[in-house]
Amino acid sequence: MKKELLALTLPLLVAALAVKSQAAGTLRVVATVPELVDITNRIGGSLVKVDGLAKGTEDIHQVVMRPSFVTRLNKADAVVFLGLSVEHAFLPGLLDVAANPKMRQDPATQGCVGTGCIDTSEGLSVLEKPDTLSRAQGELHPQGNPHYNIGPDLGPLLARNIAKGLARIDPGHAADYKRNLKDYLAELDPKIALWRKWVSPLKGLKAVSFHKDVCYLGRFTGIDFVDTLELKPGVAPTPTHLEALVREMKEQDIKLIVREQQYDPKVCQWLADQTGAKIAVIGTMANAFPGSETFEKISERNLKALLAAVGKGPS
Amino acid sequence: MRIALLSLLLLLPLTAAAQIDASSATLDSQQELKELRARLDKIEGAPLKASLSAFNPAMGMAIDLAYEHQKDDQGAFQFRAAELNVEAPIDPFLKGWAVITGTNGNSPTTNGGTPTVDIEEAALQTTSLPYNLTVTGGRLFASMGRMIHWHDHELPVTDRPRSIDSFVGGESRADGLEVSYLFPTDTYINATAGMYDKLGADNTRQDPAGMRSLDQFTYLGRLNTYEDIGDDHSVELGVDSAWTPKRFVTSATNPAAQTRKNTWRTLSGVDFTYRYQPAQGGLYRGIVWGTEILQNDERRFDANNNPTCRVNAYSGYSYIQAKMGPRLRPGVLVDLAEGLDQARQLTKTYSGFLTYDVSEFQRLRVVYSRQMDNIPGSRQANIVALQWTGVMGHHVHGFRDR
Repeated sequence: MKKELLALTLPLLVAALAVKSQAAGTLRVVATVPELVDITNRIGGSLVKVDGLAKGTEDIHQVVMRPSFVTRLNKADAVVFLGLSVEHAFLPGLLDVAANPKMRQDPATQGCVGTGCIDTSEGLSVLEKPDTLSRAQGELHPQGNPHYNIGPDLGPLLARNIAKGLARIDPGHAADYKRNLKDYLAELDPKIALWRKWVSPLKGLKAVSFHKDVCYLGRFTGIDFVDTLELKPGVAPTPTHLEALVREMKEQDIKLIVREQQYDPKVCQWLADQTGAKIAVIGTMANAFPGSETFEKISERNLKALLAAVGKGPS
Repeated sequence: MRIALLSLLLLLPLTAAAQIDASSATLDSQQELKELRARLDKIEGAPLKASLSAFNPAMGMAIDLAYEHQKDDQGAFQFRAAELNVEAPIDPFLKGWAVITGTNGNSPTTNGGTPTVDIEEAALQTTSLPYNLTVTGGRLFASMGRMIHWHDHELPVTDRPRSIDSFVGGESRADGLEVSYLFPTDTYINATAGMYDKLGADNTRQDPAGMRSLDQFTYLGRLNTYEDIGDDHSVELGVDSAWTPKRFVTSATNPAAQTRKNTWRTLSGVDFTYRYQPAQGGLYRGIVWGTEILQNDERRFDANNNPTCRVNAYSGYSYIQAKMGPRLRPGVLVDLAEGLDQARQLTKTYSGFLTYDVSEFQRLRVVYSRQMDNIPGSRQANIVALQWTGVMGHHVHGFRDR
């Protein structure tokens, strides 16, 4: 009997030790969106194991809370998130049940509070902070526009905040994270400089987008986004609003419609038919399209889509 | 030499002027830096511009209205509920919430037409216990089944399915304590154990305020799990049982006669949910198929509280709801409920519903239900309901009620 008990207990002990050693050597990180998975992998290297939540093809405001996300967050040492309440649909609810004392729901910001929280919006110069907070203005984000992850020049901010967060949680490897950050920025910074040259033909161009999520992209490209297809943020287009938008686009000679890939193509096509404008389809998260799984790739693809829509190419 | 000296003398004032310019520029910069530093110190040192009300809980209210038209061409506007919720962290280890509901009582599920304001939930929940444990206590919706603990305005149809309404007694409201444990595995497995005075808002078997021995409480055990099947499909399965070991029932006709033996009750259930949620477009498209089956095993009592026989009755519902874009959600629901006193009495309800989400916070719904049973002499009922629901402020029922 003793032998049987020993035989049963030994594998369990070995498994427990294996799990413990893995936990001791590697930081388990959950990142909410694919570009944060990408950059965390670059900064953390072999010192971290990163799991993602959103796939990249969804609307970030509509990401489904899956119980499998709960188990990932339960075992994580850190969660990397965009913040500014952009993950309101899934992150607070998941943190609420993940039973992880390192990361808890922050009801005030709809984000995360605790030692394991890495908010990548720290130090961001936030655009479009609302003057008044009322649901009559649609689904507003109280802290300002949170879609900075599609600003091609904001990759370094994401990377720096992730490096800072990882170093705080795992100070023993702070030098490694700093070195990886330096390597990543050495790769990213020249690309941003190149992208700036690409987008020079877009400066001053007027455009409309489906959702109010392109201000950081507009700041980088110089495109003036004057209106949205949505009546208000999160409120679907109405016929009256679309008719007014057609008039506005004709009056202001707006020839570019930016459709985020998750939104209705039919209504954009209708608007294009009415106004003669061209449509550029962009992704609002990495992995929105096949082959766009990194921050660099999605940024590059979005810029190429904008240039192609106005008959230009990268130069 | 003389010319060189003269030139030097002439240039000296210019050099001095340049030096004065440079030093005044440096002074200007230093002054500017000093001013900026002073301003920054003011900003950083200033108290946060937030009043004490910043610590007030998040609040919200769901307003649920309906017009219901039933048999014999009779209809009524129903102020179904105004559900006020408040929620806030209490300290680093605890959060609390309360749900206060007012209704005019016209709904079939409420107190027989009497206007009521009631505390539906008022609970405390731990947020940082070790070993993946969470303890919830107070008045809460016990974690039984799936739709059983949903608030009325969260249901896919206007009226609570008869199968859970008659077996549970409305929502799974209970005064008591729950402990849940999230298994530390890659697969989601959650276990819940609960102890309550009674289970079910309209359950009149036990006096909610009376003292009782330990064997007269209701004990719940629940286990549920979830599995992703590829990227777009998932299934969720739950099994549970609520056990009340004993109850004392005093006869209305003979107060000296109290029935104590063979009064145990079990209410057991199985729930299954399949979801098709393509990642493209998130919640905009997809299918939800939910099924729940309940078994009630108890000794029944007549209108005078005299014991009759033990009845083992079953009930259940199954519904499919499609999501067709950001606004439209059509679906069908089939509900079967045996009589708690006579298992052979079966009530069937077939419902078709169409929900139109005007925005994330406003919803319109039309429901047609056809209800029939096998009780001799009873008539079929056709019910048409129009429901209008709006949500103000912060009103979220969370992960469990997703």
